[in-house]
Amino acid sequence: MEARPLSIQRSSARQLNNLGVSGPMSSSLPVLPTPLEDTFSKLPNSQQVYMEQELRTRPLAPAPHIPANSGVVGHIFSSSSGLSSDLQYSSASPHEKLPRTTSFISQSSTPIPQTSHSGLPQSSTSSHYTKESSSSWCPESLPGYVDFAANTPVQNSQMEGSSCSGAIVSEEFSKRNDWHEWADQLITDDDPLGSSWNEILADTSMTEMEPKVPKTPTSMPAHRTQVHQQLPASSTEIRTVVTPSASANNAPAKPRMRWTPELHEAFVEAVNQLGGSERATPKGVLKLMKVEGLTIYHVKSHLQKYRTARYRPDSSEGSSEKRLTPLEEISSLDLKTGIEITEALRLQMEVQKRLHEQLEIQRNLQLRIEEQGKYLQMMFEKQKSGIDMLKGSSSNQENSSTSLAKSELEGTQVDHDKKGSDTANANSTNEESSQPKELDGKQKAPETEAPENAELNVSELSSQPSKRPRTEE
Amino acid sequence: MKFGKRLQQQIEETLPGWRDKFLSYKRLKKLVNLISSSPPPSHRHCVEAEADFVYLLNHEIDKFNAFFMEKEEDFIIKRKELQQRLQRVIDTWGPNGARPSETNCKEDMAEIRKDIVNFHGEMVLLVNYSNINYTGLAKILKKYDKRTGGLLRLLFIQKVLKQPFFTTEVVSKLIKECESTIAQVFPVDEKEIGRREPTIRVTGEGVFRNTVAALLTMQEIRSGSSTRSQFSLPPLDLSDSEFIRTLQMNSPPIPIPIL
Repeated sequence: MEARPLSIQRSSARQLNNLGVSGPMSSSLPVLPTPLEDTFSKLPNSQQVYMEQELRTRPLAPAPHIPANSGVVGHIFSSSSGLSSDLQYSSASPHEKLPRTTSFISQSSTPIPQTSHSGLPQSSTSSHYTKESSSSWCPESLPGYVDFAANTPVQNSQMEGSSCSGAIVSEEFSKRNDWHEWADQLITDDDPLGSSWNEILADTSMTEMEPKVPKTPTSMPAHRTQVHQQLPASSTEIRTVVTPSASANNAPAKPRMRWTPELHEAFVEAVNQLGGSERATPKGVLKLMKVEGLTIYHVKSHLQKYRTARYRPDSSEGSSEKRLTPLEEISSLDLKTGIEITEALRLQMEVQKRLHEQLEIQRNLQLRIEEQGKYLQMMFEKQKSGIDMLKGSSSNQENSSTSLAKSELEGTQVDHDKKGSDTANANSTNEESSQPKELDGKQKAPETEAPENAELNVSELSSQPSKRPRTEE
Repeated sequence: MKFGKRLQQQIEETLPGWRDKFLSYKRLKKLVNLISSSPPPSHRHCVEAEADFVYLLNHEIDKFNAFFMEKEEDFIIKRKELQQRLQRVIDTWGPNGARPSETNCKEDMAEIRKDIVNFHGEMVLLVNYSNINYTGLAKILKKYDKRTGGLLRLLFIQKVLKQPFFTTEVVSKLIKECESTIAQVFPVDEKEIGRREPTIRVTGEGVFRNTVAALLTMQEIRSGSSTRSQFSLPPLDLSDSEFIRTLQMNSPPIPIPIL
């Protein structure tokens, strides 16, 4: 079965592994040769190969067989000091910038298949979110609030979906398992991990640390061992891939650990096996976790945070924020009752949810804008280089086609903005549906019928009523 | 300077521990001005300023990454801790628990609810932090390109998009999970839907205040500007949510020195 590998990400590396941006672009962008960045050119390919392998194995897994250690993922980052050297290099001479920028961009946009953490594919992500909202931490004992049996088929059907969303779902699934595993235990008695429902009462931390419990108990032991074996192996793969670029980059070797929920699960389990957060030592935890690339330094600081959070629940995040009065209603003369407080919290939640929605939309828009800009820039440059090659032909032709290309760039860009916001809005609540209609009147979109971007433009032009003045170039 | 002012507002409204973690927009702007004002004859200055600019950008990104990842880690831990608390309360005071006690249960649940809501809010604020810094970076890069005729923006933005502080998927997931938990943990109350006071004053320095401020600031930032281009976001329309319009911010806390 497959396992989620330990993936390393460097802030200075232009290539990325898990947190990919180039989802929709992966098929469209060619990789131009880059004489400058030879040291890095190896990296995306090998990582890409690894990722492809990863993705290939993933869809093969049957839905119920969720790997036990389904996501012990961590990310390690080093500083971006290498970034500055490269950038300085490329920004040194303005005239020579262009070819380098081109090659650089194409390098960084090396098609890298998406894996679990990418939030890009609009449709799958958003539909994903609506389904994921059904998962939560709440156990069944909360009267009448939720029907977990209903949740399960939702999750399972999700899994049969694309590999990308499947990856996210399995993560989610493992999280839910924390709370549902006691429900599982009601169904199946043989829990090789030895924890029973009574232990939940005794030591609450003990039994919840078992995200590794898949729904099919019979396959459980096999899965656990398999995954544990697999995990170090796959992590090592990543590890060796990253290090050459680290040394090549001359980055100071102080990688920053990016903790994930899955990694934390493994951490907590290790801590509990060692007898709780007070008794566990960083070394012991490190050994138990068996996660490649994790240093004792990481574990130590994480353990410290963990201890603080457990024994002083409200002070781990900072001081004054906790003692807040959510709001005060002007006309309220009563003392704060339970209902009022609940209402206040509800209002607070509403605002927060709203903000989050807007942030998501904004982020998606920003991503799309950049993608589009990048793509069109490349197209533009390709076209330009093509034109340069045909220097022999009349200059008139050149001028018209370059200006056409430029207006293409702008036109499609703006159209895409609108389309982007439309799509984003379609996926969010109806409240935001008024958003696209408010585009600034100043924003002119020269509509063109350029052949190159015909497929890109035409569909958008036909699908939206354009409210902007049309200008011809 | 409009974004700079908005950013400053946001910083002032934000949670205390976060204030120095935002983008040093002003400083970067100064550098850009420096670069564009020193003409090619003083080539050395120009190159130096450019190098400083890039260096500062990278430094800022490192700052964002470090802060973001640390907060993310905190959230992951806190989420677990809240889960455990919830479980504990249910197991102890709940109807099927060891010592069923409705009053205790209610008290503890109220406490947990508050904490979960604040937790949610803080996570959203982190996403907001990420976003506003990204926006600032994009703006300053655009400014740089405009002033120097360079092509730094596209290049740099591609890197930024991959940075940890911008890849907020995990936090978003936690947020959504939180929302569904809250939906289940909150008692269903029909009466409250009709009751909306004309204006609601937001006091204190807490999470709620900051989310309101963030939302309003976002709206302001995205209102039309003179430099709108194909890279600009459409304006943000919140008019359909009445209650947000009725929210009124009290006077801000004591201003802090500008970076």
